Amino acid sequence: MNAPTATLPALRAEAIAKAFASGATRTQVLDGLSLSIHAGELTLISGPSGCGKSTLLAILSGLQPVDAGRVFALGTELSGLDGAALEHFRLQHTGFVFQGFNLFPALTALEQVELPLDYLGLSRRQAREQAERSLEEVGLSHRMKLKPAELSGGEKQRVAIARALAKQPQLLFADEPTSALDASNGQMIIDILHRIAHDHGTTVLCVSHDPRLIGHADRVLAMEDGRILSDRRLSPPHALHGVGP
Amino acid sequence: MVALARKTLLHEWRRFLPAMLAVGFAGLLQLLQAALVLGIFGSASVYITGSNGDLWVGYPGTQSVNLGRAIDPNIQARLLMDPAVTRVEPFIWLDADWRGATDTGGESVFVSGIDPRPDGLLFARALSPTLRARLYEPDAVIVDRADIDKLGVAIGGTAAINGHTVRVVGVSSGLRALGGVNVLSSLATARELDTDPGDNGQPTYLVAGLRDPAQAGAVARRLRGDGAFGPYQVWTAQAFARRSVLYWMFDTGAGAGVLFLAGIVFLVGAVITSQTLVAAVAGSMREYATLNALGVGVGALRWVVLEQALWVGALGLAGATVLGAALLALAREQDVPVVLNLPVTLACVVLALGLAAVSGLAAIRSLRRTDPASLLR
Repeated sequence: MNAPTATLPALRAEAIAKAFASGATRTQVLDGLSLSIHAGELTLISGPSGCGKSTLLAILSGLQPVDAGRVFALGTELSGLDGAALEHFRLQHTGFVFQGFNLFPALTALEQVELPLDYLGLSRRQAREQAERSLEEVGLSHRMKLKPAELSGGEKQRVAIARALAKQPQLLFADEPTSALDASNGQMIIDILHRIAHDHGTTVLCVSHDPRLIGHADRVLAMEDGRILSDRRLSPPHALHGVGP
Repeated sequence: MVALARKTLLHEWRRFLPAMLAVGFAGLLQLLQAALVLGIFGSASVYITGSNGDLWVGYPGTQSVNLGRAIDPNIQARLLMDPAVTRVEPFIWLDADWRGATDTGGESVFVSGIDPRPDGLLFARALSPTLRARLYEPDAVIVDRADIDKLGVAIGGTAAINGHTVRVVGVSSGLRALGGVNVLSSLATARELDTDPGDNGQPTYLVAGLRDPAQAGAVARRLRGDGAFGPYQVWTAQAFARRSVLYWMFDTGAGAGVLFLAGIVFLVGAVITSQTLVAAVAGSMREYATLNALGVGVGALRWVVLEQALWVGALGLAGATVLGAALLALAREQDVPVVLNLPVTLACVVLALGLAAVSGLAAIRSLRRTDPASLLR
């Protein structure tokens, strides 16, 4: 039997703890949290603001170190890597989508997507083709030559997704990707993230308190006060698309 | 490779404009200052650089051409004994008091007595043969056109030097002096004007022309150290000109002032430029942080900022070059002594680009605040 639960998780946290000091006060955001996230799924972490979900995302994506515990991503222990190695790991394996789209005002949609590919060492032509494919995938092939000022909010977020997607990462992290968007644009972004998980076998981890997202995720983790309150699977686990352990 | 630095600079040129102006003006100020210094202090050696002589012979230890003392005219014979020397001309340089026809009071003048023959060595580059021929006339003098108002005289007018009447027979250009006014006359007239009984009509310098000017250094060394004709020292024209300019630049304190000003200009330019670049980097901080989250190293982002700084420097310099060329042309037209040569221009360019680079490095420091995790809050 080849049940997905038997495969190695793409992301795994073991008893991680994280605290922030602000002046004399010290806030324990995460305390002994453990969880596993699987490939080929859109996993949603939801919860009220301040519950620690963004910190969890930062730790699982290798943007922040843990105080205690261990983090594994694609079989690599992130907690053992230094800054340069973490940068390299992120370059090779991870994509990010943020709430603010963070696009360079001077660059066209195509250039925004091409830029990180240049640093991957792709040839100019390869980078260009890969960027075009990625923009096509988010339905922006007709808007490639436009700069952010000429794009709508939804389109900007789709460019940001294309930028994250173009590297063909195995891990895609999204932080409140829909909260700056209206209903229809939000829906479109959710659909795209969902499709990325299912079509590419990408591990998509999304942090949001947007209730519209809940119905579309494969798995929803509800967080509060640094702990996971519930872990619901809304759709049966997907067969993994060629992403083995 | 997407040209992020260049495209951002073009797109947000308003944001970078203050930095470009700061680099441009700093470069322009350094350049004009250098041109003025070279021009003003260069005029200390106009007697040498305006003449065709290859060797200058004067009193031992003379620090600047305006500080010469009379030497024995018989040294001329010693110089002519050397086969490399083709001709020797005496040059009389003296301080004198000028009284113009109109009420201008006394004016300190430097009289240069030269041989007025058409192919004479002295002031060959500043006077036309016809102009110098007019100096054959007894008591004839030539002054710079920029000084004529100051002297209270017109062409054809008369004045008194050391109580002796002289007549202005023409004007030249490019002969302005430091701390006084240059007056050119024939050797005979200059002897008339010399009231120092100790000078006895002796020349202040002997200027020699060589068969091969490229041998000047070797010939000067060969002629030194022969005391049989009385004390004298030999310099190549280039060395003596440099000696005179350096004396004015550094032994008078003026050079230190100029260097101090250059330092201030550099500092002010660097402060404005770096602050502008820091602000520009801060404005793109979220985008840089996103790139860093995607795995683009901080080192690569630093290069983007440095490239931006160098573009700012290059564009600022381009503006400064255009403006500087216009200002230098205007200065020349107004007889303001300005001189610019390639090494000094290159030094100014390097200094301005250095300023931009230093500012870029300061802006790079602010990249340390690029924490992609901050985008998640």
